[in-house]
Amino acid sequence: MDPLGPQGRAHARADGRELDWSILMARAQSGDRGAYHRLLEEIAPYLRALAARRRVDAADIEDFVQDILLAVHAIRHTYDPARPFGPWLVTIANCRITDGLRRRTRRMARELPFDREHETFAEPQANFSEADSNARALMEEVEKLPPGQRFAVRLLKLEERSLKEAAAVSGRSIGALKVASHRALRTLKRVLTRRGHET
Amino acid sequence: MITTPEFINALAANAAPVRRVRPMARAWIWIIIAALVLLLLAISQGPRPDLVERLREPVFGIGLGASLLTGILAAVAASFMSLPDRSRLWSLLPAPSLVLWLSTIGYGCIVNWVGLVPGAVTLGEIARCFATLLLTSVPLSVALLFLLRHGALVRPYEVALGGSLAVAAITAAALTLFHNLDATVMVMIWNLGVAALIVTLAGTFGRKILRAMAPRVLPG
Repeated sequence: MDPLGPQGRAHARADGRELDWSILMARAQSGDRGAYHRLLEEIAPYLRALAARRRVDAADIEDFVQDILLAVHAIRHTYDPARPFGPWLVTIANCRITDGLRRRTRRMARELPFDREHETFAEPQANFSEADSNARALMEEVEKLPPGQRFAVRLLKLEERSLKEAAAVSGRSIGALKVASHRALRTLKRVLTRRGHET
Repeated sequence: MITTPEFINALAANAAPVRRVRPMARAWIWIIIAALVLLLLAISQGPRPDLVERLREPVFGIGLGASLLTGILAAVAASFMSLPDRSRLWSLLPAPSLVLWLSTIGYGCIVNWVGLVPGAVTLGEIARCFATLLLTSVPLSVALLFLLRHGALVRPYEVALGGSLAVAAITAAALTLFHNLDATVMVMIWNLGVAALIVTLAGTFGRKILRAMAPRVLPG
């Protein structure tokens, strides 16, 4: 007979997992990148579940997860391995989710959705075919950029992150990101202009 | 959009070793800075001439002690509150000494009201009080914001308010130590007024300033 029962087993599993996370974070604080990578990979699904429970839109969940991961990264020095990891993580996650939802509500109050009625022509092709092909061409050229420049364009231009945030994600200085992004835009302008002349 | 696995790779590649935050150590650093500021003010301005005499009065001594204790306990509370896994009940730590400090001021109002002597409040004295106010509160606020900037991501409002109470209490103690605030109305203005001003400013702007100073913080 199982002395723990199903609930007891679930608790034991959760306790064991939390202990693992605590050990992984302690190692990450001393600079063990492998342990940190494993920790972030393991907590990501848990954060997704937390965000879903707070009624975050399915389309926005990954944004929220990344926001929480970045916060965890920025203040990982505030975790004390002598204490449980769960409450530390959940407090950060809840604060970031509340903050994110508040920001979104404020933005929604100022912005209007772009409805079909706003299109110039009724046929979708008339409105989007050119934009789609331009976007595809742009993405193709972005993929051809050197990795540093590609990452800078993705973070700063396509995802519209701030320089500070992009620097935190990429581990590069703000100056290096500015230079990479400037060079990438110059290359893209040159290549896309040439492509435009050829077609 | 960058995918979460790519994002995790980027964060892990950027994981330099970090030094853990020790909340008591941070609180002690701030308390030592506060003591140094008071010492420098004592050297430059000199304590009020009747300080020894006034300290013999229980209400004065208890009030001064309670305001200093409120500053120290509020700094400790803000330091613990800035950590995500610590209880919000830490915010109650300075409450008993705060109540004691406010009651001594209230007691002075009710039992021993000292009226304003005509000509006692001069522009020069007000300017000196303002100088003490700025010389105490500005460096202590900057130091506290720097020490607790990691609190921006989790409890910016509570940390800013706790920190501002610490700054306000020490500033009020400095004003009591270095200026002849004998008239009850002056004691109220320079204690309660200053405390209310600093806490209100922190409530209004503290969150934003803390965010601006946060380590690699997200856009707000």
